Amino acid sequence: MPCAETESRLHAYYDGELDALAAAGFEGHLESCAECCVALEELEAMRSALRTELPYERAPAALAERIAAALDREAAPAALTTLAARVGAARGPAPTFGRGLITGAGGGLLAAALAFFLIAPHVISPRETLLDDLVNAHVRSLLPAHLVDVESTDRHTVKPWFAGHVDVSPAVYDFTAQGYRLLGGRADYFEHQRAAALIYQHGAHLINVFSWAGEGAAPADTTRNGYHLAFWKAGNLHYCAVSDTGWPELLKLVSLIRDAEGQESHG
Amino acid sequence: MSRSRERVERGSPGERRARFDAQVLPHLDAAYRFARWLTRSPADADDVLQEAMLRAFRGFDDLRGSDVKAWLFAIVRNCHLTAVAQRERRGLVPLPDEGDPQHDTLICPAPGPEAASIRGDEERSLARLLEDVAPEHREVLILREIEELDYRQIAAVTQVPIGTVMSRLARARAALKARWSMRSEEERDAMR
Repeated sequence: MPCAETESRLHAYYDGELDALAAAGFEGHLESCAECCVALEELEAMRSALRTELPYERAPAALAERIAAALDREAAPAALTTLAARVGAARGPAPTFGRGLITGAGGGLLAAALAFFLIAPHVISPRETLLDDLVNAHVRSLLPAHLVDVESTDRHTVKPWFAGHVDVSPAVYDFTAQGYRLLGGRADYFEHQRAAALIYQHGAHLINVFSWAGEGAAPADTTRNGYHLAFWKAGNLHYCAVSDTGWPELLKLVSLIRDAEGQESHG
Repeated sequence: MSRSRERVERGSPGERRARFDAQVLPHLDAAYRFARWLTRSPADADDVLQEAMLRAFRGFDDLRGSDVKAWLFAIVRNCHLTAVAQRERRGLVPLPDEGDPQHDTLICPAPGPEAASIRGDEERSLARLLEDVAPEHREVLILREIEELDYRQIAAVTQVPIGTVMSRLARARAALKARWSMRSEEERDAMR
């Protein structure tokens, strides 16, 4: 059993909470401490069991509709009919969609979320526009039936599909074994081109990995509306991973993709 | 869409609602999951979430660029604590929830052998094991491992210092690990 001081550092290291210097220091300690290595493996075993075994409930459609109605009353007692109410009415009660992943709950509300981006006055900075486009595309993908155009965990199915539907040819990998299951691909449109989106499931969270061609350096990582955006560039291809996972969890997927890509281009 | 553009002006109630829908509503499912873990009952989770979303909307102007998810989760948690306090004041005994063994005896007095075996699996499920972990430990574990919040966010949600988050998380992991390895041993014994 590690001592209390080491134990709190162990958890902080495992949760990605140590700064680079402290993390390197702890990795040095790991090299000589078998107990901490075992403890780390146990933490990982429990985490992956929690993330795979626990049920992920979605807000029931009826509840989402009740909340939308209550918000309508609160916002404007007799005035605006919001898009949420209209979409909700058009969709009918509690629809179920066949994909298994998205069960329709909160769909009307998510649709409403898009209204803001559609009706908001246009932001001037191109970077701001890009960030809005990315978060917007991510939120839209969470709508029932909007997540994937081609549903497959097989990269050899997704990659050729991209060839016919988008303007870029991004790296496609499945990382189910590492806790990031490839669900499929989708075509999206931004930066004046047909961009590619890969969708991964990680525990309760969905991750979109967008890619598009473009000049310039990768923008800095940022967080917007509770969604993390991690950027990188490979050749002339821009990538951005968007999700409400934790930062370490999102960056782990980024490094998995970059490593796989690096191996492929060198091998 | 062009009609909406004309109708919704900046600063109007409709614009505030649209901003709320864009920034807060995408986190509805996450907030619901958290409410389920806090209340351990679907009916209570519904009430808590509805109350929390209304409170969030009323307090939306206080958000000002801070962390949406942590902010919303803190409201959900406060609503849950308020509801618990109210129930206690009224001296109501809560109905047994789904995870409670009593629950099944109320609904289905004589489960068949098949149901009993499924029940047995559920009893040993991680979800069931988590029920035995103290609430203040369970919530940090859920926030970290399932919702993937960082320490700073968890501190904001649970309104304790980061040091307390860290010690609770370590204790929560130790407590769950102890129950989990007990399960693994039982499974090994059953195999023999």
